[in-house]
Amino acid sequence: MKRRDFLKASALASSTLMVPSFLKAYNGQNNGSRGGKNLVVVQLSGGNDGLNTIIPFQNDIYYQSRPSLSISKGEVLKINGEMGFNPALKALQPLYDQGLMSIVNSVGYPNPDRSHFRSMDIWHTASNSDEHWSNGWIGRYLDSQCSGCQLAHHALEVDDGLSLALKGEQGRGFAMSNVNQLKKTTSNRFLQAIGQQHGLADDHHNVGYLYKTLIDTHASADYLYQQSRLHKSKVAYPANAFGRDLKQIAELMTADSDIKIYYVSLTGFDTHVNQKNQQARLLQQYAEGMAAFVKDLQQNRLLDDTLIMTFSEFGRRVRQNASGGTDHGTANNLFLMGGRLQKPGFFNEAPDLSRLDQGDLIYQVDFRDIYASIIDRWLGESSKEILKRKFKGMPIV
Amino acid sequence: MTGSSNHIKHLYWRAGFGLTPQEWHSRKRWSISKAVDQLFEKAAQDKMLSTKVKNAKLSEVRMKDLSREEKKQLMKEGRQKLRVLRSEWIERMGNSNHSALLEKMCLFWHGHFACTTKGPKLAFQQMQTIRRHALGNFREFVKAIARDASMIRFLNNQQNRKRKPNENFARELMELFTIGRGHYTEQDIKEAARAFTGWSSNLQGAFIFRKRQHDFGTKTFMGRTGAFDGDDIIDRLLERKETAQHICRKIYRYFVSDQVDERRVAALSDFFYRSNYDIRALMRHIFESDWFYNPAHIGTRIKSPAELLAGIIRNLKVEVKDEKAIVFMQHILGQVPFDPPNVAGWPGGRQWIDNSTLMVRLNLVNYLVSGSDVNLRAKDEFEAAQRGKAFRKIQADLDFEPIIQAFEQQNLNDSFKELADYLLMAPPSVSKDFFDPFTIKQSRAAYLKTLSVRLMSLPEYQLC
Repeated sequence: MKRRDFLKASALASSTLMVPSFLKAYNGQNNGSRGGKNLVVVQLSGGNDGLNTIIPFQNDIYYQSRPSLSISKGEVLKINGEMGFNPALKALQPLYDQGLMSIVNSVGYPNPDRSHFRSMDIWHTASNSDEHWSNGWIGRYLDSQCSGCQLAHHALEVDDGLSLALKGEQGRGFAMSNVNQLKKTTSNRFLQAIGQQHGLADDHHNVGYLYKTLIDTHASADYLYQQSRLHKSKVAYPANAFGRDLKQIAELMTADSDIKIYYVSLTGFDTHVNQKNQQARLLQQYAEGMAAFVKDLQQNRLLDDTLIMTFSEFGRRVRQNASGGTDHGTANNLFLMGGRLQKPGFFNEAPDLSRLDQGDLIYQVDFRDIYASIIDRWLGESSKEILKRKFKGMPIV
Repeated sequence: MTGSSNHIKHLYWRAGFGLTPQEWHSRKRWSISKAVDQLFEKAAQDKMLSTKVKNAKLSEVRMKDLSREEKKQLMKEGRQKLRVLRSEWIERMGNSNHSALLEKMCLFWHGHFACTTKGPKLAFQQMQTIRRHALGNFREFVKAIARDASMIRFLNNQQNRKRKPNENFARELMELFTIGRGHYTEQDIKEAARAFTGWSSNLQGAFIFRKRQHDFGTKTFMGRTGAFDGDDIIDRLLERKETAQHICRKIYRYFVSDQVDERRVAALSDFFYRSNYDIRALMRHIFESDWFYNPAHIGTRIKSPAELLAGIIRNLKVEVKDEKAIVFMQHILGQVPFDPPNVAGWPGGRQWIDNSTLMVRLNLVNYLVSGSDVNLRAKDEFEAAQRGKAFRKIQADLDFEPIIQAFEQQNLNDSFKELADYLLMAPPSVSKDFFDPFTIKQSRAAYLKTLSVRLMSLPEYQLC
């Protein structure tokens, strides 16, 4: 049975018999994971300390600024003559060595905001720091897709709630923490019946819009549930929430699901106090999770069609504080992973610790140049439309 | 007089949070003018704000002077008290002893003068400021907000000093709070920021004018030159009709329809401007206008999470046992008081809705009634040290008696029709028969109870 036939058959067999928008999407081209390019966005929430992630182990200023927090030269996992990984990132080293990882230093934006909320909003919306936009860049990517094929689950966030990044002006991404939970929230028989009764919802009026969202949610829930059963990963993921989230993504991708963008986060990086152990624990979770994920994609020949971007809303101050931690900073490093990176290794030079703005790193790369390249070169859309202004982009993929 | 009960329902939903079953029964035949009188009289009586949160002295100390443990404890207490304030507000909105109109206006203005407050004391203080002016004079309101400690801190006016002006407050004052984008220059922002230099607050949250940080020099703002201070800037902004237009457009969007009728907005702006920015007069004028009851406006607005929760509380006399449950619902539905997404407030409308918020909304009454497993995780705070736990159950007391008393009829058809008429702004898209497999008919009481839950699970219940 061909994939599309299977989908039609399973959709017909499911409770969402009368859903035109759901079926319509499969009459066009194949949108599955193997049909085009996939994007996975990993958000490190709380402001990861980039300087203790990728460590400038030859830099005296680094050691002077962080008397008790710096990672000693001996501990650093050296990448080149001046930079190395935090030892907790050991699992990433093979990826780096295979040319599957690119590190972009000093990523930020003009007039940085040191509030988690504002800075995260700026990253999600891609606005300037003095603008307040109410929709996100991935949501606007969904808006740019042909109408009718902008199914919510084209962009899937692994969480119970949907982030601003995935909310567009018209379209929205889809949020689910896992398929079983989703199945539960959509299992109310009354709501299923109501949705079916309404069949052809016209979203011109708000009531139609609510019905359409209900019907599409049921359709997506059925679809995702079926997709999740097609393939079970053979790779060992770390036994934590982040590992389970990534495993779920890999399984959906391997099942050739009609999802283009995945969004996942790892939280706890707001390390004002006793940073060392807390950050090490999180970085280890991150690295081991990503190593398993990349291996999984590799084994299933998906890595060449996948780009993974890891970011945090800001980096932290160069100087450590009095509590063995660091306070909110500005520019930070950003990681790209995948099989088709244009410039594996370090994309640009290490941050300049001798030139700071009130104790903070000065950004060299506007994150929106990275978004622009992802949109233009990877997703094949117009970044000028989606980011609402022109960015020159940069040769990352 | 047919259709007039629908007008009453429309009024009480837009000017408040709906009606309890008894209120509906006694008021549905009222004239609009009587109902409008009732709303404004109640609002005039309801002034004092009380809270069970005690202001700990601790909240006035300088964070720097505390040990790490003390700081941690203080922040924990602060979060707990903020939770109480957040749930108290929803309870007030849902409680008929309070003025629904006043609470509704406060909710609107909190979204307008949107401000994130981390401490309970300042949050309560700002709440009082908003309440004092919510139906008062907009000019005095803006001047009070410019002196409000939470706002001063949120928009960095603490850092706005003569030698190094910080433009954040001045910019938002113009862009969002008064005149709106496109009616001022960057130079106007710079000059206005100078006029607000030294407008600061002390540790206790009182407004302080720091003379030595204030720039007493001459400023040129919107074509005029003088030694302006902040009040002069606000007066100048309100002298411009664009400010009345900006506010009236927003009020129209919020209270009437998100399809803005510019002709009406222009007329409202004239009225507001001529009244010297009298909010009470403006709102009264809107609620007493025929066009407010145009069928195109009725039942078309997506309830905000606060409206949805307050409405359910009024319908079912809900008492939630633990304020954590209310705050959880606020989080997962996307509207946490004192924590708007940014200074532009909650975008509202269809932006409330995505797959996850819609399913929570439609399942919400079910969760409350059955105490069934919710098992959802609100988004993590960015400061969270690790992923938060899923919320399991909402413990709440509900009372279906008022509904049963109000809608018990000989004929189930009549009960159905009247109950649907009470709970929904428009008749449901499905007939009474459709509900049969999903209701219990062993007794009239059981029927009314199960039917209420079903009607309140309809997408139509999300509209007001």
